[in-house]
Amino acid sequence: MNFKLTEEQQLIQQSAREFAKEYLEPLVAKMDETREFPREVIKPLADHDFLGLHLSAESGGVEAGCVTYITVIEAISRSCGSVASIMNNHAMASYAIQRWGSEAVKKQCLPAMVKGEVLGAFAIYEHGPTPGIGPMAVVATKTDAGYVLKGAKAYVRNAGKAGVYVVTAVTEADRPKTAVAFVVDAQTAGVKVGERIATMGLRGCPVAHVVFDNVVVPQGALLGGRGTEIVNRTLALGALAEAAQTVGIGQAAIDHAAAYAKQRVQFGMPVFNFPAVQALLSDSNIDCHVARLALYHAAQLVDDGEPFEVESAMVKSFLARLGSKLLVDSCQVEGGMGFVENMPLPRLFRDIAGTTLLDAPADTPERAIAMSIA
Amino acid sequence: MPNCLVCYKWTLDERDIKINPSDLSLDSSRAKGKISDFDRMAIEEATLIVEKHGGAVEALSYGTAAVKQSLKDTLSRGPGKAYWIADASAENADAVVTTNVLAAAIKKLGSYDLILCGEGSSDAFNQQTAPRIAALLGLPCLSFVNKLSITEDVVSVTRKLPDRTEEVSVRGPVVVSVLSEINKPRIPSLKQVLGAAKKPNQEIKIADLGLKPEDLQPKTVRRSVKGFVMQRKNVIYKETNLADNVAKLKESLAAEGLC
Repeated sequence: MNFKLTEEQQLIQQSAREFAKEYLEPLVAKMDETREFPREVIKPLADHDFLGLHLSAESGGVEAGCVTYITVIEAISRSCGSVASIMNNHAMASYAIQRWGSEAVKKQCLPAMVKGEVLGAFAIYEHGPTPGIGPMAVVATKTDAGYVLKGAKAYVRNAGKAGVYVVTAVTEADRPKTAVAFVVDAQTAGVKVGERIATMGLRGCPVAHVVFDNVVVPQGALLGGRGTEIVNRTLALGALAEAAQTVGIGQAAIDHAAAYAKQRVQFGMPVFNFPAVQALLSDSNIDCHVARLALYHAAQLVDDGEPFEVESAMVKSFLARLGSKLLVDSCQVEGGMGFVENMPLPRLFRDIAGTTLLDAPADTPERAIAMSIA
Repeated sequence: MPNCLVCYKWTLDERDIKINPSDLSLDSSRAKGKISDFDRMAIEEATLIVEKHGGAVEALSYGTAAVKQSLKDTLSRGPGKAYWIADASAENADAVVTTNVLAAAIKKLGSYDLILCGEGSSDAFNQQTAPRIAALLGLPCLSFVNKLSITEDVVSVTRKLPDRTEEVSVRGPVVVSVLSEINKPRIPSLKQVLGAAKKPNQEIKIADLGLKPEDLQPKTVRRSVKGFVMQRKNVIYKETNLADNVAKLKESLAAEGLC
């Protein structure tokens, strides 16, 4: 058993941290304030191969594996959770296309996605009770030329900026077992992106409902797997990346709080020297470290080709409870300064909420974990 | 098309070094290695030159066994081949020993049009590597370089000195040491990182360099290394009038000879 990243993974992690410091940190405060989509970082992300991390070399990707992907997402999230969200949703869409798409669709979409010319969005949620895998309102009706999609997807991230949507739909209304998934060009007639939803955190990543109003797609747009398989597997991978976001944002908060505590003098000494402050910082760091180990273990299972869905659910569930605690404790260390809006911690607080709340309905991870016991 | 060699040092990342507050000793037990900061600029400059004019960049480093950890990082930044000399003598090597080893290795490797170094290393910052290598190889040396261009075999540089700048041209070969502002080192892409493993690297044994035992004997001895901790005075001026506070601040600074 080896807990060490490979030399390449360490160097890629270093590149991702340097990238985040150079390209993202100068933007992050303004992005949070204005909610502006960081268009200017998409090309640099692509130039550094961050948009084709897990994709095949044939598509222009680097086939770097899940551990490497998680490493990059964590490193980016330490500076900017929004961009990590954009990357993750793009990656989920491109992963689904690579794994279940026809050769023609792969050839058409993936090279452009690797180059950042086209962003992807994974559109699976609806206003119904179960994300993506329950009853679906989006119905795909078979025609001679392909399918006609009708319905709406909710809370689609990268909405309005994506050039390609991976959309789940049922081929028979009210029959979830007929769920399938399609690749839909955003320019197709009938694709209508709703008003942008103002989210609490991760504000640089656009979120909106997307309506598919009799959208005609060719037969080749149909992905090859069952809808439930596509959703469950892609979400499990996406959940790992979101957990990496939580760990990265949490670590950023701990680092900021520790640095602040070292320079904040009270009663003649830095507050870092106070046992109560040290307890808050050390507890947070322990939690973050344990979460990271569990996360990287789950990612290694993916790379080893072993089942990872339960471990992914465990990490997601653990971090769902832990994420906000890391921020509460970091804010506590900073005292009043942790409550000041233009300081980093409030942004991190709002961002970490996005990574723990989204894609993690209260019962979903627990169900997967419980079913795995005995 | 210039044939370039970059000499770089694999140092500890100073951000990972902790200072023990009781005796100011340094704890580097958890410190990771990194390419010395200015040497990254030297690697970048050589890579930019070759991207513009063609030619080749190779890299050379002398260090302890840890120097091997530097190879993929270095090769991901542009050089086509890396040479490394790992020897226990590097643990206590001063600038004399370091440059004796590097110059002997360069003689063994062949001739280069341009040998680049960082102006100083992140740890010792002795600023002696480039001038000493130049002296040992009998080449001209251009130090404090913040701008460099090449036309055919002429190397033209701007030297940024404390009180002036100098424009200097030299017909190569030449040894150049660069300042941090000469460029902004690239962030290696994933393909560059993964491609580094496919580039060649070669160990040079110190025993094969024809050095005498005294060549590896440091002339300077480091007696101790201690951290520097800035002591804050925490003086607070409590006059109600801002002008009075400023006056008191000025008075305090003057008393310490700072204004």
